[in-house]
Amino acid sequence: MSEILRVQGLRKAFGGVVVANGIDFSLSAGAMHCLIGPNGAGKSSFFRLLLGEHAPDAGTITFDGSDITGLRSFQRIRRGISVKFQVPGIFKALSVRQNLEVAFQDHLHGQSLGATIREMLDFTDLRAEEMTPAGILSHGQQQWLEIAMAVGVEPKLLLLDEPTAGMSPDETRKTGEMLHDLNGRGITILAVEHDMAFVEQIARRVTVLHFGSIFAEGTIAEIIDHPGVQEIYLGTADV
Amino acid sequence: MTTSETAARSRARTLLTRLEGPQTMGRGPAFWTVAALAVAAAAAYPLIADAWTVGNAAYFLIWTFMAMGLGVVWGYAGALSFGQTAFFGLAGYAYGVITLNLGAAYGLTLLALVLAVAIGGLFALIIGYFMFYGRIQGVFIGIVTLSVTLVLETFMAQTAGPQWRIGEARLNGFNGMSGMPPLTLPWFGGDIVLYPGPPLYYLLLGLVVICYLGLRIMLNSPFGNVLVAIRENPHRVGMLGYDVRLYQMLAFGIGGAFAALSGALYTAWGQYITPSSMGLTSAALPIVWVAVGGRRDITATLIGTLVVLAGFQTLTIYGSQYALVVMGVLLLVTVLAAPDGLVVATMTQMGRIFRSSKR
Amino acid sequence: MALFQSVFAMLYQFGDTFAFLVISCAGLAVIFGMMGVINLAHGEFIMCGAYVTVSAARAGLPLPLAILTGALVAGAVGMVVERLVIRHLYQRPLDSIIATWGISLIATQGVLIVLGSTMQGVGTPLGSIDVGGRSYSLYRLILMACALGLLGGLYLLFYHSRFGVIARATIQKPQMAHALGVNTGRMYGLTFGLGAALAGLAGGLYAPTMTMVPTMGATFIVESFVTVVVGGADIFLGAAPAAAILALIKAGLTAWYGQLFGQIGLLVTVILVIRILPGGLSGWLKGTTR
Repeated sequence: MSEILRVQGLRKAFGGVVVANGIDFSLSAGAMHCLIGPNGAGKSSFFRLLLGEHAPDAGTITFDGSDITGLRSFQRIRRGISVKFQVPGIFKALSVRQNLEVAFQDHLHGQSLGATIREMLDFTDLRAEEMTPAGILSHGQQQWLEIAMAVGVEPKLLLLDEPTAGMSPDETRKTGEMLHDLNGRGITILAVEHDMAFVEQIARRVTVLHFGSIFAEGTIAEIIDHPGVQEIYLGTADV
Repeated sequence: MTTSETAARSRARTLLTRLEGPQTMGRGPAFWTVAALAVAAAAAYPLIADAWTVGNAAYFLIWTFMAMGLGVVWGYAGALSFGQTAFFGLAGYAYGVITLNLGAAYGLTLLALVLAVAIGGLFALIIGYFMFYGRIQGVFIGIVTLSVTLVLETFMAQTAGPQWRIGEARLNGFNGMSGMPPLTLPWFGGDIVLYPGPPLYYLLLGLVVICYLGLRIMLNSPFGNVLVAIRENPHRVGMLGYDVRLYQMLAFGIGGAFAALSGALYTAWGQYITPSSMGLTSAALPIVWVAVGGRRDITATLIGTLVVLAGFQTLTIYGSQYALVVMGVLLLVTVLAAPDGLVVATMTQMGRIFRSSKR
Repeated sequence: MALFQSVFAMLYQFGDTFAFLVISCAGLAVIFGMMGVINLAHGEFIMCGAYVTVSAARAGLPLPLAILTGALVAGAVGMVVERLVIRHLYQRPLDSIIATWGISLIATQGVLIVLGSTMQGVGTPLGSIDVGGRSYSLYRLILMACALGLLGGLYLLFYHSRFGVIARATIQKPQMAHALGVNTGRMYGLTFGLGAALAGLAGGLYAPTMTMVPTMGATFIVESFVTVVVGGADIFLGAAPAAAILALIKAGLTAWYGQLFGQIGLLVTVILVIRILPGGLSGWLKGTTR
């Protein structure tokens, strides 16, 4: 399997706080991967470094064979990385349909744009809410809308930061199904998550982050049995 | 129905869909009928009013371009520019310089008009590049643009000596430039000179209609979608792969070009342009029209500008200081009670009454 | 001897501009720098202070008391304005620009209607001193001392008084201050009132040197804004050194090219500073951005 993302020696510090301490990370194309770790481990910062919101102090990021370390955020998106943030990044005053249009219109026009938007409305179960302002949707619906928008840029890699935060168990399960569906279409999934049930539903491999470094990596079963992982979550370790 | 009729109908429908959309208020046959009637009434106006009044009405129409441009920049792209008068004045002086040097024959004044708009628009793109690619946002856009227009005003104000000239055109400092020819259309029997009066009025009315419809199409296009998305959540738009700075710069350039159009037409209408057209008070007037009319909708901006201008002129009869007090009160009331604009609030209310009376 | 004269002339010019910038921007530095509110009515609070000062002085009050009265009245008006208008607009900075511009219009035109286009002023007191054949206004020299005194007084107020500490805390983290029992509404009102009073003080101090017209605020507003924006959020780390640098720029350009180019120099400086140092001088010195 080819490698879609390779991070080497990524380092970033804000003043005295080290959020990335020489991270080496590799992701295969077509993978469904989760990033977990206790609060403050640097998971969200890692995403921001991948997306170009912060420039790293050292290290490189290679995406789909090219070095993207120096590119601006919108340039990385155009190369095929897409993101769904923790706080729904939708356009609240615009209608659901408009939200999707903004996401998809750069790649599609006319008939195919209309057809794809209809398909996305069905995918997210939002057909009935097509013309309502997105700010009125429930929290779960807003998250799904944002996932649909993130797909609009035709990504090869989809980053999700706590996609099920604030969702009910039913909504969480549906989100997992959506991600499997997208993965089936060839999109690599990398998600930061706290909900272990969700991680089990979607991830084949898991990486544990702690104080800006990779602490452990493996399948779900390996990670759950890993004694060190339990300790860093419960705070009894001397790491 | 024959195929040609169906084809014509679907072409009309396509045109309508491009004119209508979520970014602009007013849709459907009822709206467009009213709009057409309004234009017809405006076209019939010179038949019932004397030439001076019509020339005065032409004066109102001149300002609508700057207002609509500011509506795009502020209401749709979300950037409060306090310096539209910079492009207004620059284009006005450009028109003056070009026509004073080249004369009015062979339709050269029209060329001057086009060049003045291009110069204003280009300057706006440069300022826009400086601001948006320099990460200047929010209130600082207002401060930078205000400073730009004040720099231009101050610079032009000190161009009093005879050494300050471009070709035949003396810049004249505080007193401003005058004596440039009005818009002159080349015609077979002799050039038509458009002094303030019915012919100029018709030309301006046509321009307003064209610009209004053109802006509606632009705002309801994918470009317009991105603009309002930027207004709502610029970070997210960047994360969808758009270069937000480019869109903001382009919107600012369009706003500047429209302000430039007002400026060149103003100079051609009154045959003078002064530095005070770029000063503090002048800079704030477009803000008043657009804020009171409604900045989020181009139709409201257009109607609001005309209403405020007409009202202001009526009040000035009693004394310009009373008119300005009313202006200040209007601003306060708008911001505190109807931030989307008084015209928008009225239109929304009328829409509600209309809908509830249907039941 | 001639060297001393020209040096004195230059220093005087510099000190005069520095004093003008510091005194006129202090109120705006509090309101914009600390509270983030763009107050386009700043010039009108200055006008209010000036008019009240002149009226009080002509009614018999000694000038220093008259100036104090002007400042207090302006401060009171400021608190009323804050309560009625500004309080609703803290989350809407662009709208506060428009609202304060509306207030500015109402104030200038209202005064024009009620009091006429000009009012009898008071002359500049204290006469002049003679240095090397040129005469210099003694009053304006006093104003330079006032500017320094003002900076000192504000420093004591904000860093060594209970009010100052609470005000700074409220503005930085209002919810936290509220949770600690501070009446945040009153703090905002008092801080805005302080800014208005400082503007009134500027009006009062300069009233004896100017003609009383309702639009006199316009003389101050551009310079005040430029100084505050170049300075950044902190009055002492920012506005004071900004005033010094801008005074140099303005004095230099005015001497070589004339008054209007001095003005252009200030405006170009503010544009460049916004572009290169987004947090102003104090932001750069503190290593933060606004």
